Amino acid sequence: MKEETYRLNCFVENRPGVLARIVGLISGRGYNIQTLNVGPTEDGTVSRMRIDVLGTRRVVEQIILQLRNQVNVIEVVSRRL
Amino acid sequence: MAYGKGRSGAQALVESLERAGTEVLFGYPGGNVADIFDRIPSARFRFVLGRHEQGCVHMADGYARATGRPGVAIVTSGPGLTNTVTALGAAYMDGIPLILVSGQVPLSQIGTDAFQEADTTGITRAVSKHNFLVQSADEIPETVAQAFYIATHGKPGPVVIDIPRNCQEEITRSAYPERISLRAYHPESTATSRDMNRLARLINDARRPVLYAGGGTIAAGAARDVAALSRKASIPVATTLTGIGGDGAADGAHTLGLAGMHGSPAANRAIAEADLLIALGVRFNDRITGKVSQYARKAKIVHVDCDPSSIGKNVPVDLGIVADVKDVLTTVFSRVKAADRTEWLEKIRSWRESGRIAEKPSASGAISPRELMEAIDRRTKGDAIVATDVGQHQIWAAQMLSHRRSRHFLTSGGMGAMGFGIPAAIGAAIAFGGEKRVVAILGDGGAQMTAQELAVAAEEKLPIAFVVVNNRSLGMVRQMQDVFFAGNRAATVFKGKYLPDFRKLASAYGIRSRRVERADKLAAAVGAALSARGPFLLEVMVDPEANVEPMVFR
Repeated sequence: MKEETYRLNCFVENRPGVLARIVGLISGRGYNIQTLNVGPTEDGTVSRMRIDVLGTRRVVEQIILQLRNQVNVIEVVSRRL
Repeated sequence: MAYGKGRSGAQALVESLERAGTEVLFGYPGGNVADIFDRIPSARFRFVLGRHEQGCVHMADGYARATGRPGVAIVTSGPGLTNTVTALGAAYMDGIPLILVSGQVPLSQIGTDAFQEADTTGITRAVSKHNFLVQSADEIPETVAQAFYIATHGKPGPVVIDIPRNCQEEITRSAYPERISLRAYHPESTATSRDMNRLARLINDARRPVLYAGGGTIAAGAARDVAALSRKASIPVATTLTGIGGDGAADGAHTLGLAGMHGSPAANRAIAEADLLIALGVRFNDRITGKVSQYARKAKIVHVDCDPSSIGKNVPVDLGIVADVKDVLTTVFSRVKAADRTEWLEKIRSWRESGRIAEKPSASGAISPRELMEAIDRRTKGDAIVATDVGQHQIWAAQMLSHRRSRHFLTSGGMGAMGFGIPAAIGAAIAFGGEKRVVAILGDGGAQMTAQELAVAAEEKLPIAFVVVNNRSLGMVRQMQDVFFAGNRAATVFKGKYLPDFRKLASAYGIRSRRVERADKLAAAVGAALSARGPFLLEVMVDPEANVEPMVFR
């Protein structure tokens, strides 16, 4: 399967440690994050992380499912770039 | 409850653990948990002092595997916490609910390389389901409630609560929450009635179905439901290592035993020939599948698991159902037609016959692993809780003992953590208040990794038979070297025959012991070990050349 860039928009609870957890989940599997952008949303208790990652569809789907399993992750929306 | 004058964070922690249902706390003290330990003697739960933090967490793990209730442990900061990493990993890989409280340096000192400081949340991230770094005493009750919820909902797992010392000292009025609110964590079933109908139809249409039960079946308390479906629709059942007992001991004609690398030929052939594989609470780990492209090629695969990320992770599936295994089985049961499948069961019976391995008696006349396991089985009749370490003895115990009930075979499957056996047996024995016989089946390698915990068995007078299956070697790796490295037995054979002298080791802890070297003395020795009132160590000198068979590799 060929590798493509996917953009993951993660809405997460705005707490210390959440960014490290998410980045660790991706990098711990040997995948390189190409772009990472973290910012506030209108709701101050929620942050948005925009993560571009290169991988096969299968791997990225797996990453998304594991991100959704995280206790502080509210939602993950993805699209292929 | 109102806390007018408030109480310390340490006291709030102890009360919260009580509220969450803690019966036993396993742990080891230290400077940064001193405030909490000061409150422990007046707590309503029992405290058990381990001898190493790895042992404490394996004990909590053994308690959880034997009871289904979360195990709870406490350790100090820095080295106390880092010592738990292996044990956390073992619980994490096998989905065992567990709470670990760790002390931390005061918030003001975090990041200063203070004495006994470690980045606990960083270190435990990869070996826990979730972790918390508490920021104030006020957070403690709610954090404990959330930790228990997370540990026991969805796929179970260990949760770490790191509490800085100043938060233990601070006064707080916050109460244990009546309801748990987690904004983002709502593990839920996405199964629909259509999924259930599809599963029932697949079963009704299948000619060669196989049920395949993993640790998730046990976590869901569904062993009896597996057995019921198996009987009604005449579907044979295979299990994973951690799923042993999860088949509800179906019944003779339907039991395939262990699948995978060291599985029974009948189980592996049945999966290879199946036209429908119903996988319940499994992960399709590489020890099970071998080469994925060759796995269950003729079968439609249905995967039922509470963890959505597990479905389709290792093996592509035809039908994935994210749901509690028990819920699915009870729903599907009435929609499945009773069937005989005589042809299929007859085929399996013939594989079982032809797959029976002819035991060759050892050249030296030494005790064979099978003789030992059969001697144990005759005494326990499958009623004792068996905890194993990791290695050849673990697989022999899995293959050769009879397994009649779930939560009676405690083993580190995913992590394969040597040193698990002794403390896990202790945790299980404590869970049953010394009322239930526990057998720890150990290798001479792993027994030396957590031998210090024998002190706990002696202190608590636990009815545990520690059986050291002594082959004077690290047998599983030695066997691998014989097969794959042209017999180059590098660093796997111990030099002395009685090094250590396990009888002297037992006696150092005040534990009675015996050593057997001949098969004709085996029955009496096993009898003594299994009828002792307190702990007993039985060292069995087995044939050092004995191998685990079969071994399937692709």
